[in-house]
Amino acid sequence: MSARAILLTLSLSARAAGFTHAADDPRVLDFAPPSPGTYELHRIMRAPDEDVLDVDGRRARLSQLTRDHITLLGFIYTSCMDPEGCPLAYRVFAQLKDQIQATPALRDKVQLVSLSFDPARDSPSVMRQYAGSRLEEDGGVRWLFLTTPSVKELMPLVEGFGQDVRYSIDRSSGRPVRQLAHVLKVFLIDRAGYVREIYTSTFLHPQSILADIESLLIEQEGASGAPP
Amino acid sequence: MSSTFPRLHLGRVLPALGLAAALGAPFAAADETCNSPYIANLIKGQEDYVYVWALGVEGLGDGSDKLVTVDVDPKSKTYGKVVSQVSVGGRGEAHHMGFTDDRRRIWAGGLSGTDIYVFDIATDPARPKLAKTIKDLGTKTGYVGPHTYYALPGRMLVQALSNDKDKGGVTGMALYNNNGDFIARYPMPVDKGGDGYAYDLAVNPSKNVLLTSSFTGSANYMRPLGDLIKDEAAMKRFGNTMVAWDLKAMRPTNVMAVPGAPLEIRWSLTPGANWAVTAAALTSKLWLVKQDAKGQWQAKEVATIGDPAKIPLPVDISITRDGKGLWVNTFMDGMTRYFDLSNPEAPKQTYEKHTGRQVNMISQSWDGKRVYITSSLLANWDKAGDDNEQFLRGFTWDGRELKQVFEVDFTREKLGRAHHMKLGSKVLRVAYR
Repeated sequence: MSARAILLTLSLSARAAGFTHAADDPRVLDFAPPSPGTYELHRIMRAPDEDVLDVDGRRARLSQLTRDHITLLGFIYTSCMDPEGCPLAYRVFAQLKDQIQATPALRDKVQLVSLSFDPARDSPSVMRQYAGSRLEEDGGVRWLFLTTPSVKELMPLVEGFGQDVRYSIDRSSGRPVRQLAHVLKVFLIDRAGYVREIYTSTFLHPQSILADIESLLIEQEGASGAPP
Repeated sequence: MSSTFPRLHLGRVLPALGLAAALGAPFAAADETCNSPYIANLIKGQEDYVYVWALGVEGLGDGSDKLVTVDVDPKSKTYGKVVSQVSVGGRGEAHHMGFTDDRRRIWAGGLSGTDIYVFDIATDPARPKLAKTIKDLGTKTGYVGPHTYYALPGRMLVQALSNDKDKGGVTGMALYNNNGDFIARYPMPVDKGGDGYAYDLAVNPSKNVLLTSSFTGSANYMRPLGDLIKDEAAMKRFGNTMVAWDLKAMRPTNVMAVPGAPLEIRWSLTPGANWAVTAAALTSKLWLVKQDAKGQWQAKEVATIGDPAKIPLPVDISITRDGKGLWVNTFMDGMTRYFDLSNPEAPKQTYEKHTGRQVNMISQSWDGKRVYITSSLLANWDKAGDDNEQFLRGFTWDGRELKQVFEVDFTREKLGRAHHMKLGSKVLRVAYR
């Protein structure tokens, strides 16, 4: 087994353990969020669009995959070990998936997207491993695990969404630390392709996100005259 | 520095990332303690730069407002020296600035107009570049004098001080995305006790609350201070309120009476804390804003700063990261005071030092060991003659004594009037370019 494969295995094992604990550790709000539909979610910006790959390596435009759903999209990289980064997002997404699954009015209208910003490591097959059993739940809430063919396709997405990516420097040695440092953001995208809310890992609360999703559905209902 | 730490290409960086993460390589984090909680990449060690937003002075250098970068790393050969400056091509009463949430850019503006300048500080933190000028604040909102730039995720909430109709203090906030595209405006409340005035804003996302404070309009702050204080009617046109808002809905929830122009707002950074402090400039009082038993936000006076009869004019405050201490600068007497905030209901002054003939902004490092002070309040309110010192002064703080360790004389360096500061670090570069 190569060093890289070992590291990947360790990473996946640690993540799996963390995931188990996280499901028992829902984040709770210290306030009651305003009721869905009583506040405005502005069109912050149009979501960027580029070619992405699903876990089978099929190429599609991101917009093709998001146009029919309200989408919650988060950037990840599978080797991320920051407990307040990708693993946290995975936990919150898992909680949301379960809650959306249990709400018939939401089930077919909302999807989750985890998009890698490490195309060099996160091939479609690695993303499939990362997704694990989440991919295999038939009839459930759709959760897409996407990557990009290369950095060329990735960068317009990273820049367009405003997902910060930096490298760091170890001050004690003065040398660059080649670690991908990022403050994780999660983007709520409406069916028309507009980013309507942006969450950070510091304040990523399923209850608040669900209220926002419901607000978008109420807005859609008002626009179409049809029930959501 | 750029040769020591070359820009990396994402395609070359990413393959190495897993190893660094697996080894638990630390990510540096320190910063002054008064930024938006949404701002990423705090610097927990030694900051490298202090960015100073300076007002241009006619006949001094190019006379333009400018962002000045000062090296503050004691180990650097250029410690305490200006390493770069970027002018914006005119004078507009440069005042405050703020980081975007990703800390890649600084937004800065002037109080005499509506332009907002966006500086790129991530490509080369030692040499910021003017990346964009946002010019539609006035046409989109009718507001004048953009003052506070407060990062929300992917957005910037801008607090204005005045309006383009009567140049009075009734104004509001504007929301932009990080690309500089206008999104929405939020008028300050003029009902239920609201006076419509504004100054600072600060959020506590854990409590879903935004607090705003209140100052005065352009007609007052652009007027010479000596004239203004003799005008009884004009002196009544200062803010006397703070407002608590539902942050998510961006709706005011209650207006609090805080007489005497409450200015900077500082939340306690202690997790779970539910209080903030402010200083009322004209009455020289510290106020505590805290939730009552019913969850309602209430303000109450908790301390006096200096001798209010002498109008020391508290103009900036800086809270320590543990919420147990507060620096207070008073402009008129040039004093820097430290208050023990262990009991925020009863702050006690424990230290004071004369740090300049006129002092305005005060910022501290994340660990509280370094304190930076600038001199300028407003072009027409700064003192005259020899009292018109213009500087950035760096101090060390050991818990007992402020010791000055460097000074940049902004007049001698032909830079202008030194106002707002933000800390920078050379480690905070983008990973791709």
